Amino acid sequence: MDTMAAIKQTFFQECEEQLVELESGLLALDDGSSGPDTVNAVFRAVHSIKGGAGAFGLEQLVRFAHAFETALDLVRAGKIAPTKPILKIMLSAADMLADLVRVAREDGVADDAEITRMVQQLESVCGMPTSGTAEKTPPSKPNAIVSSDDDFDFIPIQISLEDLIDAVPISQNCFQVTFDPKPGFYARANEPALLLRDLAGLGETNVTCDTSRIPSLAELDPEGAYLAWTVKLHTDKDEKTIRDIFEFVEFDCEITITELASDEEFDTAAFSQLLSVASGQSDMPPEPVEPKLEKLAAEIQSRNEEANARKNEGAKAFNQAGATIRVDLERVERLIDLVGELVINQAILSQRVAEARIARSSALAMGLDDLEQLSREIQDSVMAIRAQPVKPIFQRMSRVVREAADMTGKSVTLQCDGDTTEVDKTVIERLTDPLTHMIRNAIDHGIEKPEARLAAGKPETGHIRLAAMHRSGRVVIEISDDGGGINRERVRSAAISKGLIEPEAQLSDEEIDNLIFLPGFSTASTVTDMSGRGVGMDVVKRSIQALGGRIAISSTPGKGSSFVMSLPLTLAVLDGMIVSVHEETLIVPLTAIVETLKPLKNDIYDMGGESRVIRIRDTFVPLIDIGRVLGYRNEAADPDECVVVLIDLEGHARRALLVDTIQGQRQVVIKSLEANYRRVDGIAAATILGDGRVALILDVDAVVENANVRAHAQTNNVPLLETAAAE
Amino acid sequence: MSKERKPEEIRLAENLDITEAAPLAADLVKFRGSDIRIDASQVRKIGGQCLQVLLSGVSTSIQDGAHFEVINPSPDFTDSLEAFGLNLSFFSSQEPAL
Repeated sequence: MDTMAAIKQTFFQECEEQLVELESGLLALDDGSSGPDTVNAVFRAVHSIKGGAGAFGLEQLVRFAHAFETALDLVRAGKIAPTKPILKIMLSAADMLADLVRVAREDGVADDAEITRMVQQLESVCGMPTSGTAEKTPPSKPNAIVSSDDDFDFIPIQISLEDLIDAVPISQNCFQVTFDPKPGFYARANEPALLLRDLAGLGETNVTCDTSRIPSLAELDPEGAYLAWTVKLHTDKDEKTIRDIFEFVEFDCEITITELASDEEFDTAAFSQLLSVASGQSDMPPEPVEPKLEKLAAEIQSRNEEANARKNEGAKAFNQAGATIRVDLERVERLIDLVGELVINQAILSQRVAEARIARSSALAMGLDDLEQLSREIQDSVMAIRAQPVKPIFQRMSRVVREAADMTGKSVTLQCDGDTTEVDKTVIERLTDPLTHMIRNAIDHGIEKPEARLAAGKPETGHIRLAAMHRSGRVVIEISDDGGGINRERVRSAAISKGLIEPEAQLSDEEIDNLIFLPGFSTASTVTDMSGRGVGMDVVKRSIQALGGRIAISSTPGKGSSFVMSLPLTLAVLDGMIVSVHEETLIVPLTAIVETLKPLKNDIYDMGGESRVIRIRDTFVPLIDIGRVLGYRNEAADPDECVVVLIDLEGHARRALLVDTIQGQRQVVIKSLEANYRRVDGIAAATILGDGRVALILDVDAVVENANVRAHAQTNNVPLLETAAAE
Repeated sequence: MSKERKPEEIRLAENLDITEAAPLAADLVKFRGSDIRIDASQVRKIGGQCLQVLLSGVSTSIQDGAHFEVINPSPDFTDSLEAFGLNLSFFSSQEPAL
C-alpha cells in the first residue's frame, strides 16, 4: 500500500472512532446524562470528519458534514436546545454520516437526493434557513490532497516591489497570523503551502518561517512537525475570512490571528528594505550579518536541550493520557502466529525432556518450566494486543434499534452494559451480524406494539438490554427484551407444520424455545421482511458456534426473552483436556467440562439402540460414546475401561462423554481445520501436540447434536447419517 | 576532512510530497559527515515535511563541519521556498541566509 493510501486508510479508521464518539455523545445528550462538553465533543467529531474528508476531496462527505456541523454549532452556541426531536434527527444524521463514510471508503457515490433530504430535515428541525444549503459548497474550499493524482501547485505571486510598497493602503486591515502545525496536520495530508497560498490570496503577505525547532538528523522524525510560520497580512478582509482558511485544520495546528493595532506594527519600510535586499535591488549595502546558517545551527543546538526537555515532558503527558500506536494488523497476526509456533515448540521440547526421563528437579526441566511460564505470558500479552472493547459493536446496535423501531412503528430503548469488556478483534468483527439479527428479531417478534404493551400494563416503550461481561475465561453477551416472550404454542405448531418435530413429540419449554434455532424454522411466513432478511436463528447459532461459542435462550411468556452467548476471548489458544479415544487423541475444551469420573457399570442403563444414560448423584445424564459418534469404532465402549467427562451445554443441559483415557490438560494453539483441510462435523479445530502429532479439538455442541441425530435416526429406523469425522 | 572527498550527491524528486520525506531523511543520514550536494533541478514542488528534512540536513552538516549546498535549483524550487518564507541561502553553508 502506498503512503497516500495508508494515510487515507488511517483517516477512515479515525472516522470510525469519530463516529463512535458522535453517536455516544448524541445518545448521552438524548438521555440527558451530559452537558456542554459532550456537545463540543460531538461537534469536534463531525468537524474532524469534515476536515479529513476535505483533504481527500470527498465532496459529498464534506457537504453533508458541513450542514450537520452547522446544526451542531447552533446547539453548541446555545441557540437551540438539544430536544428529543432534534436529537432524533441528529442521530439519523449521524447514521447518514456513517453511511457516507462507508460509501467514501468504498470509492462509491451516495444518493445526492438522500443527502439533501437529510440536510433539509436538519435545517427544518434546527430552524435554519432552508435555501438549498445542501447544494452549497462550504465556505472554505477544502484543501486538495497532496498526491500524485491530485497535485498541489505553488503559484508564485508576482509582486512588484514598488507596487507592493505603494499598494499598502493605510486603511486596510493588518493581521499577524501565526500558524504552527502539529504532526497530525501532515498525517492528514495537509500542506502548509496551500494555506500560505490561500492567505496570500487575501492580500499582501510577508511570510516568516520559524526554523528554530528543527532538530538534527539524528533526532528528526521525518513525519514530525517542526516548522511554524508567521504571516503579516494586509487585507481588506475580516478575521473570519482568515479563520475560514484554517477551518479544516484548526484541530491539527496552533493558530493565532491578531489584528495589529496600527500600521507601525507592520513595518512597511523595513519590509520593503528587506525585500529589496532579498531581490538584490537595493543599492544600500546589506547590514553586516552573521552567517545566518551558523546562527541557525547555534540556535538549533541551544534549543535542542529545550526541545528534549519538552519532548520528555510531552512523552510523560502522553503516557499519562494513555498513549496508543496504530499497528498494521498483519504484523500483529504474524506475531500471534510466531508466538503460537513458540508455544508448540516449547510443548515439543517439554515432551522430549519427559521422554528423556530427565528429573523434574533438574536445572533443565526447571528452566523449561520457566520457559513455559514465559511463553504463556508472552502469549497472553500478544492476545491482549488484539483485544478490543465491544463498545463499537454495541454502539452500532443502537442504530439497528432505531431503524428497526422506526420500521415496525414501535418505541424501543436500548441499554448497553459492560461495553468496555474486551474480546478478540476477530470475535468482535464476526459478532455484528448475529447481534444485528437478534436485535431485529427482538424488536420485530419480541417487543409488542405500544398499544399492546399498554394493555398488558407495561410501559409504552419497549426495552432491550445488551450486556457483555467476562465469566470464567469467556466473554458472555446477553440480549434481553421485555417483550411478550416466545409464543411456544405458535413455535411448536410451526415446527410441526414444517416437519421439524412429530406432532406427538413431548417437548419441555426449553426444548420448544430451542426449536427456533433449527434450520428451516425461520421462513418468510414466520418472519417479517425486517428480521427475515435471509438469516434465520439457525444461521445465528452457526455463526456463534463457528466462533467457538454457544448460545442459549430463556423466555418467560409476557415478560420477555433472553439470549445468552458465551464466546471464547480469543480464537488463537484454548485450554483443553487431552483425551484418548480408540488410539486417537482429542482435545475437549476445558470451559465445557464440569467434572471427570470413573463410571461404574451399574450406573449405566441402556435405553434402546445406542442410547445409554449414566446415573451421576441421583440424576440421569445421556451418555455419549465419542468413539462411536465420530466413527472411530462400531461397538459400544466398555464403561469399565473408560472415563466419563461430564460437560455442560448452554442452557444448563449436561452430557457425559465416554472416552478411553485422560492424558492431561494443556493450553493448545488452535489451527483452523477449515483453512488447512475442510470443515469436519463435530470437530471445531485442530492443534499440534508436543509429540508433533495433530490432535482434533472437539466441538462438544456439534458432537451432542450428532449423537441426537443418531438416536433420532435409530428410533425412526432411518439410516444413520455418516459423520464427517468418520469419512 | 570533508573537503578532500567528492561530495555525495542527492537528486531531489520532482514532487517532494509527504512520501518523499522519509527516504530523503534516510539518504541524508546515510551521507552524514560527508559533503552533500543537493541537485534541485527537477523539483516542481516541495512540501512542508521535505522542507524540514532539508533544513535538518543543512544544520546537521554545519554541526558536523561538512559542506552542504543546493545546486541547479529549478525556478519552481526557489519559488516554493519563497512561498514558505525561505530562500536559497538557508540551504547553503557558503552564503549567509537572510
